[in-house]
Order: sequence, then C-alpha cells, then structure tokens
Amino acid sequence: MQITGMKYGKQILDTAKFPTPMILDADATLEEVEQLMSKEGKCVVKPVFYGGVGKKGKAGLVKIVDSPIEAMAAKRKLYFAQHLFHDRVIQANGVTFEEFIPASYEIYFNLHVSTKTRKVNFTLTHHGGVDIEELEPGEIYEGTFDPITGLKTYHIIDALTEINAPREIISPLAQHLPKLWNLYNDFGFMMLEINPIRLKNEKGKLITYACDFKAQFDRDNHQWQRLNLPMEIFQTDMSQFEEEINQLRTYRGQSDVVVINPYGTVTAFMFGGGANSAATETLGKKATISSDFGGNPPYDKMYEIAKIVYKHWLKQSNVLLIIGGKANNTDIFVTFKAMFDALKEYVAQNGKPNIYVVVGRGGPNLIRGMGYARDILDSLSISYKFFGYDSSMVEVVQYAKDIDDWMDEIKNQTVKA
Amino acid sequence: MQPEKPFNYFVGINSLDEIATKDSKVVVMNILGNESRNVTPVSHEYSGGNIVAGVQYGRKGKLETKAGDIPVYSRLAEVVKNHYFDTSVIYLPPDAVFHAVTELCHYNSENLKKIIIITEKLSVKDQRLIRAIAQANEIDVFGANCLGVADSWNHVRIGGALGGDRPEETLLKGSIAIHSNSGNFSTTIAEYLKTAGFGTSTIISSGKDVIIQFAVPEFLYAAQNDERTKAVTLYVEPGGYYEQQALEMIESGKLKFDKPIIACVTGRWKSNLTRACGHAGALAGEGDDALAKEKWFDDYFGVPVFNPDEPEKVSTKGVRVASIQHIPLAVKAVFDKIGEKPDFEPVGNLGLKPWFSNDFNLNLPLTLQIPVVEALPPYNKEIEAINKQVGATYLRENMRNKSGASRINRSTFVAELHGMPIIELIEFPYESNILFSLTKMHPEKEKLKFVNFILNYFAKPDEQEIHAIQTAKQNGAIPNEALIAAISLKGSMNELSVIQDYTGKLITLFSEIQLRDLYSEIDYDQLEAAANNMFDTKDKEKPEVVNFLTSEIEACFKKSNILDFAVRYNSKNKVKNQTAFLFAAILLDFSYKSLVLKKITKQTAIELIEYITIIAKSAVLSSNYLFSNSYLKKLFEQKDFALLQSSFTKTAYVALFNEEPNEDALVEFKALLALTLTNGPGTLSAKGAKESVSARNHISTAFVGYLSNTGLAHGGSGYEAIEFLLDSFKDVKIKDPNLTNDKINLKEISKKVAVDYLEYKNNAKLKGELNYKRIPCINHPVFKGKRVNIDPREDFIRKYLISHGINNLFWDFYHELVHSLYEVGVSPNVYCVNIDAVIAVISLKLMWNSYKAGKLSESDLQNIGFIIFLLGRTVGVSAEIIDHRSRGTDMDCRTPQSETKFIS
Repeated sequence: MQITGMKYGKQILDTAKFPTPMILDADATLEEVEQLMSKEGKCVVKPVFYGGVGKKGKAGLVKIVDSPIEAMAAKRKLYFAQHLFHDRVIQANGVTFEEFIPASYEIYFNLHVSTKTRKVNFTLTHHGGVDIEELEPGEIYEGTFDPITGLKTYHIIDALTEINAPREIISPLAQHLPKLWNLYNDFGFMMLEINPIRLKNEKGKLITYACDFKAQFDRDNHQWQRLNLPMEIFQTDMSQFEEEINQLRTYRGQSDVVVINPYGTVTAFMFGGGANSAATETLGKKATISSDFGGNPPYDKMYEIAKIVYKHWLKQSNVLLIIGGKANNTDIFVTFKAMFDALKEYVAQNGKPNIYVVVGRGGPNLIRGMGYARDILDSLSISYKFFGYDSSMVEVVQYAKDIDDWMDEIKNQTVKA
Repeated sequence: MQPEKPFNYFVGINSLDEIATKDSKVVVMNILGNESRNVTPVSHEYSGGNIVAGVQYGRKGKLETKAGDIPVYSRLAEVVKNHYFDTSVIYLPPDAVFHAVTELCHYNSENLKKIIIITEKLSVKDQRLIRAIAQANEIDVFGANCLGVADSWNHVRIGGALGGDRPEETLLKGSIAIHSNSGNFSTTIAEYLKTAGFGTSTIISSGKDVIIQFAVPEFLYAAQNDERTKAVTLYVEPGGYYEQQALEMIESGKLKFDKPIIACVTGRWKSNLTRACGHAGALAGEGDDALAKEKWFDDYFGVPVFNPDEPEKVSTKGVRVASIQHIPLAVKAVFDKIGEKPDFEPVGNLGLKPWFSNDFNLNLPLTLQIPVVEALPPYNKEIEAINKQVGATYLRENMRNKSGASRINRSTFVAELHGMPIIELIEFPYESNILFSLTKMHPEKEKLKFVNFILNYFAKPDEQEIHAIQTAKQNGAIPNEALIAAISLKGSMNELSVIQDYTGKLITLFSEIQLRDLYSEIDYDQLEAAANNMFDTKDKEKPEVVNFLTSEIEACFKKSNILDFAVRYNSKNKVKNQTAFLFAAILLDFSYKSLVLKKITKQTAIELIEYITIIAKSAVLSSNYLFSNSYLKKLFEQKDFALLQSSFTKTAYVALFNEEPNEDALVEFKALLALTLTNGPGTLSAKGAKESVSARNHISTAFVGYLSNTGLAHGGSGYEAIEFLLDSFKDVKIKDPNLTNDKINLKEISKKVAVDYLEYKNNAKLKGELNYKRIPCINHPVFKGKRVNIDPREDFIRKYLISHGINNLFWDFYHELVHSLYEVGVSPNVYCVNIDAVIAVISLKLMWNSYKAGKLSESDLQNIGFIIFLLGRTVGVSAEIIDHRSRGTDMDCRTPQSETKFIS
C-alpha cells in the first residue's frame, strides 16, 4: 500500500499542517495554472502514478515549464505517460500542476521501521533532491528515538548539527519535521519520505515546502483509513482476482495472493508462508498465482477463496496443486472439505475441467481430509496423487510441474493432429 | 552471575534450554477463543500441565484437558491474585494484543519473563510499541504471527501448535535447534531432520512480521550457551537485516558462536513484489532481498550453496541450502565434517510416496507413474480404516428450505435432481429414474431387469392395503388421500427387516475387504470365511424365485462380484431366508458404487428396499383396474418370473390407463414422469416430506407427509390446459393425435380460438373484470420480451420426441395458437409455450382414445393427470426424504417464532 506524488501527498501533509506548494489537478483551467505560476513564472508538471512508483525525475517524466500553454502541452504529453519501474511498465493516470519553489536548500527526510534497530528510524540530510545512496556517510544522518515519546525537536537539531548542516536551516526544520512524526504515528504509516523539502528564501526567512511525497502504509493498521484517501489508489497494482480475494482478508487465516503469470498452467493453493516461498520459487512462471492460505482458515472463508480461485484459474490450468508442510494448527479436513466442495460446485456449473490434482500436505485430520478429497475426485473422475508430509514438499511441487509438462505435450500433440 | 550479553537491548534468555521448561508457569490470554480452545489442551497435556490459568474477558469457567482442567478468569487482575506465572501466551485478535501486553506488564511485571504472541496481522505500530514496553519491563517476546516455542528435551511446548496435534511425533530429542520464519516449516524441518537421524533441542517459530522480537542474533547467542545444541538450522525469508547483524556480530567477535549453521533462504521471486504475499515481513528492500541474504550466508560459510551430490563441500561453519528438502543431508554432511554423529537411526526418507492415487486410465509416462505406498504409522491405520468406511457421512445441519437433492438452476430455470436437469432425465425409463433418485446414480442397463423385478415384485398390494384404499375411495378420497390410507399402515415396515439386516451385513462384509470396484477380482474363500460368521445357513427350502434369480444372475453379462458372491455362497450354504438374501445382494449391487463414491449414506443403502416398496406400491395402488386388468393380475400372481422383469414403466402405464402401451406411448409416458420428478425443495410436496422427517417419523410417514401436502391444486394449470384443449377441439374429429392430419387445419382452429379469446378478453375488460381467464400454459416471466419467445425446456422435450418420430397434435396446436394470439393482437409478441403445456399435451394425447371411446370421463382425465403428477413426484420426494434424513436435524423445519404473524 504505497502512494507517491503530491496529488494525495498534499492532502496528507495538510492534515499535519506541514507546508506544501500550491497543487492543481489535471482538470485545472488555463487561468488557474496561470495564477499558480504568477509568483515564480514557472510550474512543475508531473504525471500521477498510483502505487509506489519512484524515479520519475530520472526518467524525464517531470517537466518544468515557463508558460501556461507549455504546461498544457506537458499535460498532454504526460497524462498517459509510461514508466518502467522495476520490471513493470506503469501508466500514468493524470498529471499535477505544482507551484515551482526556487530553493536555497533541498532536504531529504524519511521515517521508516528499521529491522536493524527494531524501532522507527529517521534519515535526514540537507543534500536532498538526489538519491541518498549517492551521498557520503558523513553527509547523511540516520538515527532513532524513543518509540513511546516520539521524534522531538531536539532530535532534529542534534541530527542536523551532527552532519554540519547550515545553521539557518535548523530552526525551520526543527519547527516542522516533528509534525511528520505525528502524522506517521497516528495514521498507520510504515514509511514516510519527503524528497525534497525545499527551503525558499522569502524576505530573508527560509520557508519550508514539501515538494514530493512518498509513503507506505501498514495494511494491518486501520488508522490510515482516517486519511479518507480513495481506495482505487491502492488497487491499481491488484488484479480483479487479487481484489476479490482481498475482500476476504480477516485476521483469522491468511488469504494472500499475487498473480504470477496470467497464462500459467499450475494453480496452487499454498499453505503457510514457507510453502508459499518454496512452491512459488519452484513453480516459476508455470504458476498462475502465489498464495498463502495458512493460519487455519475457517470453512466458509476457505470455500469462498476456493470458489474465486477456480472461477479465475481452473479453466486454463493443467494441474491443481495443494501444497503445504505438516500443518500445526490448520485443520486439513476443514480446508480440504472447503476446497473440494467448491470444486464439486464448480464442476456442477461448468463441467469437468481437464486437470490433474496433486496434493502434498500434513497436519491435523490429514487422512480424513485426504479421504474426503479422494471421494470427490473419484466421483468426478478427476485424476490425482496425494502425498503425505513424508514426501519432500519441493519434490511434490516438481512432480506437479512434470505432470504439467506432460499435459502441455499432450495438448500440443492434439492441436497438431 | 550471568555473562554479559553482547546486545545493546534487553535479552533475558541465556540459553535455549531456558525457553520452554517444565518450570514455566503459563497464562493464556483468550484461552477459550477458536484457536486456543483446540491447541491449548494439546500443549498443556504434552507439557505436563504447565498452564496455570487462562483469561477470557468477561467470562469465567474452565478449559477441560486430559491433564486437568485449566481455570479461566474474566480478567488478568483475578489471575494474579490466585496464581504465580512467568510466561504468557496471547491468542487475542490483533487490535487487543498491545492492550494485553500492557495489562500483563501492569499486573505482573515482577514475575513475567516471556510473552508469546500467536496472533497474526498485528500492526507494525503495535509491534514496535510492544517491543518498547517489553524492553522497559525486561521481558522476552516471541512472535507475533508465530507458533510459539518448543523443547523436545523438556517435552514442553508453549504457545501455538508446534508439532500439530501430535507434538510427540515431531519433537524428537536431538541436537539441532531450529529458528524458522515459517511456523509450518518449524515442524516440517523437524520432520525432515528425522530422515537423516536428527532430533531437535529447541524450536522457535519466530514469526515473520516486519519486527521479529526474538531474532537470529539472540537465538544464536542462546544456542551457543545450550550444551544440547550441536548445530542450528535457520529458515530465512526476504526482508530484514537480522541475519546480517548476527553474522557480522560473530565475525567481529562481538558474539561468540562456533556451532555450524545450516541456513535455508527462500523467496528470490519476491523481489518484484510491492506488497507482501505470505508473511507480512517478507517484503524486502533492495538490500535485504533473498539474493542479498544468500550472499550474507555464503560469504560467512565460505562455501557455495549445498550440492547433495558433493556433500563434502561444506564448511565447519555450516552451509546454505537452496530448499528445505536438502536440510537433512546438509546437516549430516556438516556433522561428518565436524566429526559428530546423528542422534538416532534415520527414520524414513523424503522421496515421493503417494498415499492416494487414481490416474483414471491416463496414459502417464513411466517416470510419472509412481505406485501408491503404505503411509507411515499411524496414518496407514487411518487409511485402512477410511478405506473400510463406505457411504457418505454428513455434518448435520438445519435443512429447512434447503436440499442436497434438488434445486432450480438459476441460470436455466430447469429443476435439477442430484445435479441432473429433469429435461435430461426424460430419456431414462421410470425404473431407472427411481434408482437414480434413491442412489444418485442410474443403474447399468444390464441391471435394469433386476430393478424391474424388484419393483414389480414389491409392488404387489396386500389385502390390508387394498382394503384401506378401497375404503378411502368409497368415502370420496382423491388419489393422494387414498394412497395415504394405504401407506400410513406401513409404520416401520417390519416385513422388510430381514432384507435390511442382510443388506447391512453384506455392506460390512464388502467394506471390510475394501471393495471399491464391483468388477475387480475378490478372494472368494476369504469372503466365505467372514460370511460364515455373519449368516445363518442350511435353509431347507429353496423357493422358486431363488432358482430364478440365481440363474438370471449367473447368466447376467455384467455380473458384479457382490452378485457373484451371493449366488455362490447361497448355492453352497443355503442362507436362512434365501430370497431375502438374494434381494439384499441385488439391492446392494444397485447402491454399492454410490456408497463407495460417498454419494449416499450406509443407512440409505440399508433402507433402499423401503423406498422402493413404497414407490412401487404407490404406482399400482392408484390404479382403478387392480382386479380387472389381466396384465396386473398375472404380474401379482408372481408365478411368471420373467414377466416380473418387464419394464416398471409399463406396469405404471397399465395401472393408469388399463391398456398396454406401444413404444411411442412408453417414450412419452416416461418423459412425462421425469418432468414431474421435482420442482425444487420449496414445493409443498417436498416440504410435507421434509417436515415429517424433521419430526423424526418413519420413512412411510414421511411419504404420508408428502402426500398430505399434495392435492388437486397440483398440476392445476395442466388440468386447465386439458380443459382448454378439449374445448378448443370439441368440434374437431381427431383420429390419432400422433398423426399429422392434413384434414385438420390447426392454423384455422388456432385463429378461431385467438379471435374468440380476444372478444372474450375485450368484453371482460369492458365489464371491468380484471380477473378474466387466461389461456393456460403460455408465456413465462423469464422467457419473454423477444419477438418470438421460446421456453428452452419445452423446446428441448419437443425436439427430443420429434427425433423419436413422435408427434402431438395438441402440442402443434399450442404453437400455432401463440402465433395466432400475436397476429390478432392478444399478445404484444409471440409468447412461448411453457413447460406446463408439455405435461398437458402429452397427458391428453395418451388419454385421448379412451376419452373419445367414452371409457374416461372429464373427471377421470383430471384424476389421471393428478396421478401422473403423483407418480413422478413420489420418486423425486424420495430423494428429499433421504437427503433430509441424512443431513437434517430434529425439528429443523420449525418456523422461528419471529417469522410468524398473528392476523386478526
């Protein structure tokens, strides 16, 4: 759950009364843009990407323009701009017109949970506006503070002093940066980053402006909902399938899914974070999805999950794989009954899928669960092999892959014939 | 004096052997919650009763365990007054966990040493606050999102379900300590280690949230100080710098650790994810993804990832493995390197060992053909036991307004019985659909003669039944009421108990040998020996019917091993009451596959003969020609056994129409009966049966319940349609309604009917009569709105019959009529002819000749139409009775008081 950019960043920062430049939406009129440019004669046009998308500046997707007409031209160019981020091509969904802030100083500030300190750390430098990885160690401050009392003014002053920051920037930053801790602590953030904070000299005083924004929220902390952000900004990197499963997310039982390959041919119910990691890695691109349904999901939840999985993936699959280690608390009978009842329902409505079922599992009520699954598959005439936990989980996944290869081969031969 | 620890934060544990001990006194928060209720008793019993109390906010009581009851308090303040405890386990929902930690620290900071948090989906904020408060109070925390800790030497587990419901199976005493980000892998790795002869000392399920409270540095420190531990196994996922910190501390000398580490890092694929899938904390940044972690370990070990083919390439510091399946071999290799021996002889192996398999004649390549192997104990015994179980077992539930037998398909609007649309069931003869309704499977064609034999045999009415039905009819009873009189005499149907007893024994006999395929080879001698303990033998008489059935079975082309055994065994031993024995075998032959496939319960298979008897008797007792029809008389004499093998569809037809059907009539008749089988569980007829079952009545009384919930209102539109058709054709001479008669101009007739109807309708409207008569069996609330509308169900059946060369003048008329109604302006478009018309036109056609010959009055037509409905529905309702008896609960059909209304 990440967001970047000032479109929503400004809304969030306004909550903490942290100063921001004027920001206009893509539907701003020429006159409004003209007014936005009235102070400095410039305007920054940025594409809006949903989700956590960085390095737009480096990709040349940020335009600084000198007239409203140029701003509108930049809008047309950037409105549906595409950006390669990691291995994904992401498309923009609008632009923002942002007031240009000429800066004497650019500050980088970040609050994040550190696994090194197991606390919230803050990172601060007055050499902002660049990738902080490019800075020398002495130019950047990383420290922590008491998690109960939080980030205080003196932490900022001490940090800036330590990295030899110019004295004139200490006071305005010490005044404003602790507000970000309140925001961070009260609204479910995992990470909050402003890069750059521009310090503009206005009549001899340095005025603070947050000019870009990046955040990651903790989906298990519902406090972020108080920000009233539109849900769609978090759903852009979710497929329809992922969204449907996500509706079932409760604290009882996992229901995490990610689409691995929309054209995959092995659909796997994975139980447990370990199985999720091991099986997804072994299946590679053959997997339609990666999933974790461990944590002893109740029958109703598992049944609904299975229905959604079958609806989206069964038709294209060669192999339905159920994989997990020796469960500690997941009731195998309950989960198997749910999955195979849903399969029976699927077959009643859609006819028999051309699949082979491979199971590798252990845990409470194992044989009762396997027996139930066997009876249903026998009645549906669907082929299967069930392995206990004494067969290597990875070997079982490999066996599913081999079955998949063979079924692909048969299909290809049929097509050729 | 404890040695100074190398951490700048609090760590209370010095050695792994302190983590889970017999001396730990535990309090469980939310002890009666869903998960704890099942897991805590196992932990308590395994650990020798170390849980002193539980808290369930707002409730008091106890949690029963085999190691003694655990007292449950409504708040922690009461626990501290009564019990000493140093460890707490938290099972609360995520939002309550931080509050509970605060509460624990508030009331028991003096004694509390450890908190184990099982709950998943804790917010990161709560995790860091928990850490802060626990650090301040010098408490070690394990989790959240973990399965707790276990000690195989101390025989103690605290927290979650490490080792599942059989911890003693997994937690074997040994020399390996495990720290795993995956709860499941904590147990799975322990299981895998057994295959190389290694047991465990302490197992820690660390959880894999962003903040790991008891992480690798602390674990290695405690492992170093644990004399029992000779090596450690780490299961590591992406995200977090805990492992790097630990390795750097070792290399810098800050942390003394000289035992081997076998580390498994997974999750390379997660590097492109932007949100967690699986463990919340397994989402890496750029420096702590799986690849980075692999490198940390490889650099530390100084050797590449473990290759099982080159086990010598490990270091004394340990080795990284690519997958958990390599852990046992890697541990063994490292032990060889450091000159240590495994803890015990290896147990099993990790090769592929299918416990269940069915390839359904798939031509799998040899490499994929892995034979089923016997599962390891105790699972082998469990498999043996379930293989002996035949028949479905259902969880009982409220079945009011629910059915596992019938439904109306929401997309096709066709009623379905056991998943089959009734329009597809029209292709099966009545007798076949009877068996389908009872066993959820149609009998094999070769077995139909036995089905018919049994139906015809048990259809024979006895004197009491005849007397009851005659008396009822004399008193003006309509067909269902007359049937009630006869069937309500049946009670528990004691006369069938011998057959039922034999059926039950035969089920036991064949399930004991785990018979799944009716045509597989069986060991006759073994079965005979078992049967000798079950059946009384040496019957003196051998009834003729036994001779007949024996020869028929022997001649049967598809002789199942059940029938084969029954005939051989009876011929040799002469079972007491041979007829009942052979009937039982035949009945079991009908139902055994359904039992194996868990489609029906064992009880249903035993009671099959009761349903068959009532259905068969209902079909003939409705007849007005019981004593006058020669075919029925001969049938009931039960001397011509070959005649008993005649189609029961024919028997029902003769009983109804007092004449033998031709082939076309049989096809139409069976279709008619199939169409009335069911209209879903919401019908009055089904509800009558279900409510009677719900009151725990005998099967026969459930049929009475159904019959008393039917009446002339049933098939009302069908009868109105017959009336309408008779009126429309009153001036028309029809020789044979099956022939396309050129002399009859259906278009002209339909035009006249449409014009007359338009006039009638307009007059009625002029008079302000809004409730004027509608033409029955046309139009449908769903199949409407197009220029020409078709009810696909009606269309399917019409085409089916036409494909059999069967025409129907009345049906054709209906199709002409809907066009005429449109043409004269009665309807805005061409209405469909709906499914009710099918029943009317086929019924009328079948009765036409008798009606025209004066053998049947209009009142007879109505009665026959109603009986046709009863013939079909009796069969469909049998399925509802079975379903409700198998799955429902007593009194589940009551209407809750809140749904009832008083109308003044």
